[in-house]
Amino acid sequence: MSDHNSGPRALADPVVDITDVYAFPSPEQPGFLVLVLNVFPNAEPAALFSDAVDYRFRLRPVTIPRGTAPAFAVGEKEYTFSFRFAGPVEHQAGSPLAQEGTCTASTGQTASFRVNDEQGGKAHGLRAFAGRRMDPFFFDGVRAAQTIMTRQLAFVSPGDSRQYRQNVLSIVVELDIATTFGADAGPLFAVVGETMIPGPITVRLERFGRPLMKSVVLGAKDFDTVNRDLDIRDLYNQEDPYNLGPTYLGAYRARMNANLGFWDGLDHKTDWPPDAHGTHPLTELLLADFMVIDVSKPYAEDSYFEIERALLNGASHQTCGGRSLNDDVADTIVTTLVNAGNGARISDGVDQQAVRASRTFPYLVPPELNPPAKIELSLDKSG
Amino acid sequence: MTGHSDPAATGGVIDGELPTTAGVLALANLQAQIDGQQRMALAGGLDVGGRAELIELVALRGHILGCIADYEWAQARAEQLTHDRPADGAALIARARARATFHRFTDALGDLDEARRLGADPPVVDAEHAAILQAVGRYDEALTFMREAVKRRADFASVAALASLCAESGDVATAEHLFDESRDHYRGVSPIPLAQLYFRRAQMWLAQGNLPRGHSWLSAAHRRLPAYAPAQGHLAEVEAALGETDSAIARLHPLTISSDDPDYPAQLARILSEVGRVEEAREWRARAAARYDELVTRHPEAFADHAAEFWLNAGADPHRALQLARKNLEVRQTRRAHELLAHATRAVDGARAAGRR
Repeated sequence: MSDHNSGPRALADPVVDITDVYAFPSPEQPGFLVLVLNVFPNAEPAALFSDAVDYRFRLRPVTIPRGTAPAFAVGEKEYTFSFRFAGPVEHQAGSPLAQEGTCTASTGQTASFRVNDEQGGKAHGLRAFAGRRMDPFFFDGVRAAQTIMTRQLAFVSPGDSRQYRQNVLSIVVELDIATTFGADAGPLFAVVGETMIPGPITVRLERFGRPLMKSVVLGAKDFDTVNRDLDIRDLYNQEDPYNLGPTYLGAYRARMNANLGFWDGLDHKTDWPPDAHGTHPLTELLLADFMVIDVSKPYAEDSYFEIERALLNGASHQTCGGRSLNDDVADTIVTTLVNAGNGARISDGVDQQAVRASRTFPYLVPPELNPPAKIELSLDKSG
Repeated sequence: MTGHSDPAATGGVIDGELPTTAGVLALANLQAQIDGQQRMALAGGLDVGGRAELIELVALRGHILGCIADYEWAQARAEQLTHDRPADGAALIARARARATFHRFTDALGDLDEARRLGADPPVVDAEHAAILQAVGRYDEALTFMREAVKRRADFASVAALASLCAESGDVATAEHLFDESRDHYRGVSPIPLAQLYFRRAQMWLAQGNLPRGHSWLSAAHRRLPAYAPAQGHLAEVEAALGETDSAIARLHPLTISSDDPDYPAQLARILSEVGRVEEAREWRARAAARYDELVTRHPEAFADHAAEFWLNAGADPHRALQLARKNLEVRQTRRAHELLAHATRAVDGARAAGRR
């Protein structure tokens, strides 16, 4: 899974469990940026958003500093898009609970909508939707776990995606790039999604920057000789991605160096030689856990991590980066981690969701009415 | 249109604490989780962890709504899970929890020992073990486990467990401090854990005879989770004791429909009888009696306690109460169990004396 069930807290309350975040230029309206945040893995019809949570996107301008370590320089200016939901209303006795929501941008625009209304709500330069949709994520997470367990690449073709035809609660905002950011900002932006408890004491419940960070990059404990007993994910979830606190930074680094080293070794060659301190070349880049998108480029379907790869190679990026709903990010990530693109693309055997995402608002496809049961796969070492 | 105008139903900040999801939403989402897991389970598509999680979720719904059928479902599935995966620690822990719910404490401890031997996560096994020790009145042993858990990691769950133990063992001052500390550790938005914490705090004050403070914490639990049947039931009990019988009766009527726990018709029978509504009381008494008989037959360890209470009060059969109170004391040697037996013994003696007169 991407970020589904990403830690004890998310398991306890799926309404705050961010499964995925996407950011892509609108294929429908050039000049508009689309942001998607999904929560609640395997959301059944009764599922609704919490009225106590701020579901929000945070964007900051980033630049690529020349001649320094491969990492983005993050600006101070921040743009937010905050989704709040009201308590439920029962329109008729016994009818399903209905819910209203509002998207508020830091620039002042607001758009109100009814949950599950495909038209969403509109304001000047802003369109917002929230409701139950088919989970766009696809990945053979069971065989990824098997890979970690057996220490051998375990993907097969075809693979099985546990998210196949399952549903999530989705939040979508489409924003006018020129109106929102103005002429001076951009074109590169860092994007994260968060669930927060708002108020005088804000509490970050979950955050999401890049897919598969917690499950593939941070989840396994066995390779980490420093903090083997520590489930690091809830701690990591609570960090501000633009400013990681110093308390657990060493623990995150140790875990990341160990796990990235494990993935690199799966093809029995070293494509990411660590430095003299044992630091993996991707560690600092991935510790800054946000997605980067170039809003000046047109929509592209498979552009995830292209900007980062260009940065690592000292080249100019060619695509919008970010992450589209149909992007096979799992293959990109596994290939990057295992062979750094120096070999054949590694496939997990799952190339798309049952129904490809739409090119029109709200982009995610309607919920699957009869989701299939998960397939129980063997995790024994014989494979 | 029937909107929810009660602030308790719309989440938001309550009592100056962090906001939690409105109770009605939290319950809908719990149901959504159960629906999803059940769909997969029906097709045989859940692994051991998923099956254990489903059992936990259904048992939690049973606790919130006062639904004994949910507990029974959870127990049956836990038995099946250990049958299918006898060497899996997670399956044994699930069965231990289910068995403990029905007060089969010796069996539950056996499951935990086996789970430990199979390499199950020691802190998880310890927490379950401590809860059972507390339930059977072995407070000192439970305290050792729970203090160790707090020392290892002081979080909402570990501090709440310690608070509950101190409360039950009568150390009110320490319990009060720990209840506050536990609440301060809470960093979620689900209202369910807080409602449960407040409920335990209310039980402590009720046991101390402080009805207003008990009422206050029960109300806090109710504000967080209006559908929480145990809080509603105890609110009715306190209100009846304070002379607010109309309010108590109004609370209990819906519970007799939504819950299959005989405690609610039993309470209703008692209160109606006390206010002279004898015919109505008789009907509810009969209903409670039939259900207690059924449950005592199926789960003698779990229902001996409450059935004894019933026969001592609305049921008006002290001999049956004494028999059940003895059974209850065999299962657990808590202060409450001793008091219940003493009460039943006095009632039987009183009945014999009255018969002699």
